[in-house]
Amino acid sequence: MKMKVLLLTLASLAIVALSPWIGKSLDGDAGAFILTELRIPRVLMAVLVGGTMSLVGACYQTIFANPLAAPSTVGTTAGATLGALIAVVVAPALGLSFTGHIPLTAMFAFAGALIVSFMIAAIAATGRARVNDILLAGIAISLAAGAISAGLQYSADQLQLYAAIQWTLGHLPQVGYRGVAMILPFVLITWVVLLAQMRGLQTLLGGEDRAHSQGVNVPYLRSLVLGIGALGVGACVAWCGPIAFIGLIVPHIVRLTVGSSRRVMLPMSVVTGAGFLAACDTISRLAWPGRELPVGVVTSAIGAPLLVWLVVRQSR
Amino acid sequence: MSSLELTNVSVTARGKALIEDVSLKLAAAEFVALLGPNGAGKTTLFKAALGLLPCTGDALLDGRDVRGIPGRERAGLAAWLPQQSRITEPISVFQFVQAARFRFSETQPESKSAVEEALEAADVLKFRDRAVTQLSGGEQQRVGVAALIAQDAPLMLLDEPANHMDPSQQIELYSLIARQWRKGRGVLCITHDVNMLRHVGSEEVRVVGMADGRTQFETTYGATDLPYHVGRLFNVTMDVVESGGQRILVHQGPA
Repeated sequence: MKMKVLLLTLASLAIVALSPWIGKSLDGDAGAFILTELRIPRVLMAVLVGGTMSLVGACYQTIFANPLAAPSTVGTTAGATLGALIAVVVAPALGLSFTGHIPLTAMFAFAGALIVSFMIAAIAATGRARVNDILLAGIAISLAAGAISAGLQYSADQLQLYAAIQWTLGHLPQVGYRGVAMILPFVLITWVVLLAQMRGLQTLLGGEDRAHSQGVNVPYLRSLVLGIGALGVGACVAWCGPIAFIGLIVPHIVRLTVGSSRRVMLPMSVVTGAGFLAACDTISRLAWPGRELPVGVVTSAIGAPLLVWLVVRQSR
Repeated sequence: MSSLELTNVSVTARGKALIEDVSLKLAAAEFVALLGPNGAGKTTLFKAALGLLPCTGDALLDGRDVRGIPGRERAGLAAWLPQQSRITEPISVFQFVQAARFRFSETQPESKSAVEEALEAADVLKFRDRAVTQLSGGEQQRVGVAALIAQDAPLMLLDEPANHMDPSQQIELYSLIARQWRKGRGVLCITHDVNMLRHVGSEEVRVVGMADGRTQFETTYGATDLPYHVGRLFNVTMDVVESGGQRILVHQGPA
């Protein structure tokens, strides 16, 4: 197991370190600009977003004892998408536009993610709701937000519709370090707080009631993970859109590779998620010369077959 | 002071009383068997005693209202082996037992040493690196007891620990529980099979019968009225057979 942890860590670090240098040659001033102002911030963004989405996905799968739980399942990404669509479709009609350092889409998406997630966290904090009830509430709110989003897209004009679709596919387009600086505090808080819950989350693997009898305050832990997870994912999704599958797939890849112990799996989800998204972003830059694929398309195209292969190999 | 004291405890769900006015005292280092048919409310009583379910009445652990005791402190007073294992992921036996040390703030070597001692005490050290999900039901329950030992609480609550085990596994498990009792831990153990108590090796084990959410009788394992009470509790005719100097209760059919 130690060897697998080492190999996965080295592979992820190598991908992150090499990604900025992969692609068209970087000669002269233009090359230096592309490297320092375009590619490096993009890779940094991939590290922050990939690590956060994967870590939050792994934590959600633990608190819900459900392998299908992910930020998208409990409404975080649906809330963000609704917020972004309100910014794209409704806000211009109300005369609202970008005025400060943060784009309106990002602000609304962040607010949408937080509002929906905190609704779910509030249900979890009561202590009376069973884990499946919370998950079902998340799915119901996701579907409701999705329906409103679909209605907004239907009423949008062509330009707004294109902007909306582009946003919902997920992307890491960065010029400079503004986006990195914007999400960094949220990401760091998320990583520190969630990784500090490793022991409690490990205890939850024995079942919710048993964890309670072993001293874990389960409603508090669940609402803390949901709330902090929403903060991190909300910040990432607000800036990059709902990058598909990464919060679902990477924790499974890590678990099937290094085992289920949360003491190993959670930090490895950060490392692997960072490397995985950096690799997917590099592929999205190179796969279609002259254009860029949305990174969400690449994460799905690579992650889904990889997960199926791992599951099949495991079950043999 | 009693390690557990329940006075007029009632639990209601959706307007239906699951347990009603149940009172039960367990002195420190006492062994009490809780006997009753399915649906009697035994597991509900355990959950109320641990503060897992809202209840009315007084539920005291070590003289303190269980509902006001912080999680880690409560885990230092009572440990629970649930009836069903809810482990869905293949964590190792070592990791599973180590999770029971949650209440302690300790270094990794201290935790490792305590877990290995608990595994040794439950005779499951040989399974240390096996996935819990790959063990048989009997082995899983012994690992569950190892987790209770690692939690190191003075009171152990065991919910039908020998269910679905073969006779040799049942005897091994009850002998293991008895060893922990003799070391000074209190034991409250739900069982359907009163004969298992002969492996505890004491006539003084208290037996409490529960049905329909209420306590029905209280006696001791060695008392002459035990067969009568057990027969009435399960609504069967009970015969007593002497074997190897021990009394065994045999049910003969519906009462």
